[in-house]
Amino acid sequence: MTTGLSINAVDKFYGPVDRGVHAVKALSMQVEKGEIIALLGSSGCGKTSTLRMIAGFEEVSRGTIALAGREIHTFAPVRRNVAMAFEGYSLYPPLTVRENIGFALKASKLPKATIDERVGEIAKLLEIESILDRYPSSISGGQQQRASLGRALIRDADLHLLDEPMGQLEPQLRAVLRGRIKHFIKERGLTAILVTHDQTEANALADRIAVMEGGELQQFDTPEVIKERPANLFTGTFVGEPPMNVFEAFVSEEGGQIRLKLPDGVSLDYGRDSFAPAVRERLVGRQRVVIGVRPYAVHRDADGVAATVSANQWLGDQTHIAADFAGGSLVLVEHDRTRLALGEPISVRIDPADLHVFDAASGAAISHGAELA
Amino acid sequence: MASLELQGIVKRYKGQAVLDDVSLTVGDGETVVLFGPSGSGKSVLLRLIAGVVDPDAGRILIGGEDVTEVDAEFRGVGMAFQNFALFPHMSAFDNIATPLEARKARPDAIRAGVESVARLLKIGHVLSHKPRALSNGQKQRTALARALAGEPPLLLLDDPLRNVDAKLRFEMRLELPRLLATRGATVVYVTQDYKEAMALGDRIAVMAQGGIRQLGTPEQIYLEPASIEIARLFGDPTINLLDVKPSRDARGIFVGLSNVQVRLDGASEQAVGRDCVIGLRPEALSFVGPDTAGAIPVTVEAETPLNEKVVTLVRTVRGREILVSRPAGTPGPAQSAAHLAVNAKSALLFDRATGSRIGSGRRREVAA
Amino acid sequence: MEHSSPIERVLRAVALTLVVLFFMFPIFWIVLMSFQTNETILRIPPSVVFEPTLSNYKALLSGRLETAAGTLELNFLRTLWNSIFLSVTSVAVSLLLGVPAAYAFARHKFRGSEDIAFTLLSFRFAPPLLVLLPLTIYFQQIGLANTYIGLIWVYQLICLPLILWIVRGYFEDISADIEYAYRIGGHSWFATFRKIALPLAGPGIAAAGLLAFIFAWNNFVFALVLASADKQPVTVGALAFVTASGIQYGQIAAAIVLSITPTLALALYAQRYLVEGLSLGAVKG
Repeated sequence: MTTGLSINAVDKFYGPVDRGVHAVKALSMQVEKGEIIALLGSSGCGKTSTLRMIAGFEEVSRGTIALAGREIHTFAPVRRNVAMAFEGYSLYPPLTVRENIGFALKASKLPKATIDERVGEIAKLLEIESILDRYPSSISGGQQQRASLGRALIRDADLHLLDEPMGQLEPQLRAVLRGRIKHFIKERGLTAILVTHDQTEANALADRIAVMEGGELQQFDTPEVIKERPANLFTGTFVGEPPMNVFEAFVSEEGGQIRLKLPDGVSLDYGRDSFAPAVRERLVGRQRVVIGVRPYAVHRDADGVAATVSANQWLGDQTHIAADFAGGSLVLVEHDRTRLALGEPISVRIDPADLHVFDAASGAAISHGAELA
Repeated sequence: MASLELQGIVKRYKGQAVLDDVSLTVGDGETVVLFGPSGSGKSVLLRLIAGVVDPDAGRILIGGEDVTEVDAEFRGVGMAFQNFALFPHMSAFDNIATPLEARKARPDAIRAGVESVARLLKIGHVLSHKPRALSNGQKQRTALARALAGEPPLLLLDDPLRNVDAKLRFEMRLELPRLLATRGATVVYVTQDYKEAMALGDRIAVMAQGGIRQLGTPEQIYLEPASIEIARLFGDPTINLLDVKPSRDARGIFVGLSNVQVRLDGASEQAVGRDCVIGLRPEALSFVGPDTAGAIPVTVEAETPLNEKVVTLVRTVRGREILVSRPAGTPGPAQSAAHLAVNAKSALLFDRATGSRIGSGRRREVAA
Repeated sequence: MEHSSPIERVLRAVALTLVVLFFMFPIFWIVLMSFQTNETILRIPPSVVFEPTLSNYKALLSGRLETAAGTLELNFLRTLWNSIFLSVTSVAVSLLLGVPAAYAFARHKFRGSEDIAFTLLSFRFAPPLLVLLPLTIYFQQIGLANTYIGLIWVYQLICLPLILWIVRGYFEDISADIEYAYRIGGHSWFATFRKIALPLAGPGIAAAGLLAFIFAWNNFVFALVLASADKQPVTVGALAFVTASGIQYGQIAAAIVLSITPTLALALYAQRYLVEGLSLGAVKG
């Protein structure tokens, strides 16, 4: 048993066990002390149910949850020593922002000077110093969310749970607050789990991301690994903005070349040595696959394959280009200002090292670049 | 196709002006994006153009014709709504067909019209479904199809991508320009997402507190924002803003940042000696070696990936926070003590008191 | 919590049963009474064991009531028909007037619109007895006393505010954008009302109509004062069983059973809409 959080084969049913809605399926995760974990998925993927089970607002249907060496899943929420920031802010309306944030500390009978100091510190971090003496009803949604975040972060808990902590935040503040909150959590060695549907937030804050879909854990790894070595087609296309380009492909080996036949007569040829022998064997044996390539890994190259520009959008710091390609749409991201006219022919190159190959039936990853998945 | 002209539009609710003397001309076939935070009046403006809300003052001209007193059903515009506003008791087909039915088109003409627009939006297979059986993306496409079905010369889109998930929003953003181009309509597009505004607008009208604060091409808005307020609205992460007081010496204009002289070639003389705010886009800052001239010493606080970029939060020796971004996969600072270089050409200077940008004319040309 | 122990489940079932018993008992007892003769009803102590008889129902349907004092002519079926006619017509008139009014109040905020709407609702607050006397005098003067038209008119006091307020809540619940979308598509405001607003508020209109029907059906005071024997609804007609030779409990029970059957059937049939309509009206109104 670790000193962090340990979720062991947890199931959640709404309604009768084994017959009701199966919201979380045999979930097992180990979170080390001092780690920041993101539960990432779209609505209904089971991430919020998981969080609520850890917090104690939802009963565990099967399995165990242990925190700091204690099995906590049967405890009342108050005994779990878990702090939570709610999505719906849920500040106490009759208390000022200052009292809200200091509430837990006051309850733990800390001296007033210490409380004031710590509230001041967290308020500065979240830029809510100027509204500390206001009441929740008189501040904006973004400010309420920051106050709620402050109320959770200030506590000395074994685990901090943050439910969509930045969904309502003013966009201009997001980037800087993400940096500060990450710094704050790391500096104090807190353990945190955040639930979010926003991958930017997950990527920005988390040491490891648990991607969930349909109640099942799809992949649990660092943002880099999830991005570079997605375990399956779902993770590959869900994580990454803009999303990964995917095409169905038919693999064959001809004259020392690996050929990927895409729809509409487009084919990508790679030298045999671009792939490790084991990958080669799997690909050629599998024949029908789905290939994926990240938008930033598609390069324009005069010797490449033909495509036709269908959109060219400059966003100030990046240019997003879409092109008609292989019966679908191929998206490229360039960091410079690119000016291409609609309908302009371009040619694109996809390096074998940037190629993700998935099983066409199961969606499981077969290879990433030259290596087996 | 039709041009649109708004002249001195005023709209008050309970004595408060939500639109205060707004004038705007949208050319034939042009796409103008109304961009601004919620409550800036852009949705009301769109409803005024559609004719479902009446202005308290001002005139609205569509195709040169004054339609201020004309009822909504006779204006011949198409509109898509943020919440889709599909008719829940009608199938997708019937929803899309409503503008065609209104003109008493023959049933086979209606069928042909609906099917062609459905093909364009790739929803041909769900036409028989009721809205509640459609996914969010399909709902959004149905709403767009309904707006397009009557082939209106003027199309009003009220934040149509707001309620779909990030992936669909992205796909649709790339698909929309071609879609709109095939119909050749004049488009007024409302959004709160600066990326959508930059990507879709021929011109952007930045709105705040019931007025248009700046009107220009995406280049003009991003590279030459009229004020600090507007500079902050465009760019992710947000532009860094630091108080400075530009000086000049024999070699030109410079500002002091963390005791380092940063040269600003091409800055306006008007800025010298004034209390200013310098605006530095995160992508205009880069990590350099300590020996580089004008390098600012900083400490790295946190690194957070953002889409295809890495954003670094650093702190200067004076305790000021700065965000730096770089393309993903490029090398970042090796240790927590690092140095920053400023791309002086893209630095923006604002007057601290008024917030307006200082510097006249086409600085972009200088930069290029 | 989502899951409960068996004990909890048993306790919950027992509690529910008690509540149901408490509320259902009067109805249950009435039904029992309707199958008994006056003698068995008035037994002391009362008992649920008796020999069932259909004599009460026979008397009601044949219109002849045999009592100790002799035979009494009854016109129960006539009162039942009056009830149906009065309630249905009143609700129909209310819907015709109330639904467009509700739409206007929901969509157009003009000066004084709230005041007018509230005034209409306040008719529901006033005790009927307060207006009854002046109404009777006026009606007698203009010749509306003891006419169906007069009764239907007075019933509007009951039905109209109800329909107005419930349906208005429903109309307000329809996003204005949905109607805008239809109008921008090229349809007139009336087409929008007919093709969009009415169908979408359909469940609410049905619920309001049902509720108004039940209220109209159960009305007693207005009909008692303003209608003579041939125009009386069931509620008033039941008074006839209080005869010189005593109260005919058996027949009263049978009359009650017969008269609540239509409303009960309607209510059960439309239970879902009814609850929805009521809660919506309550929240929005």
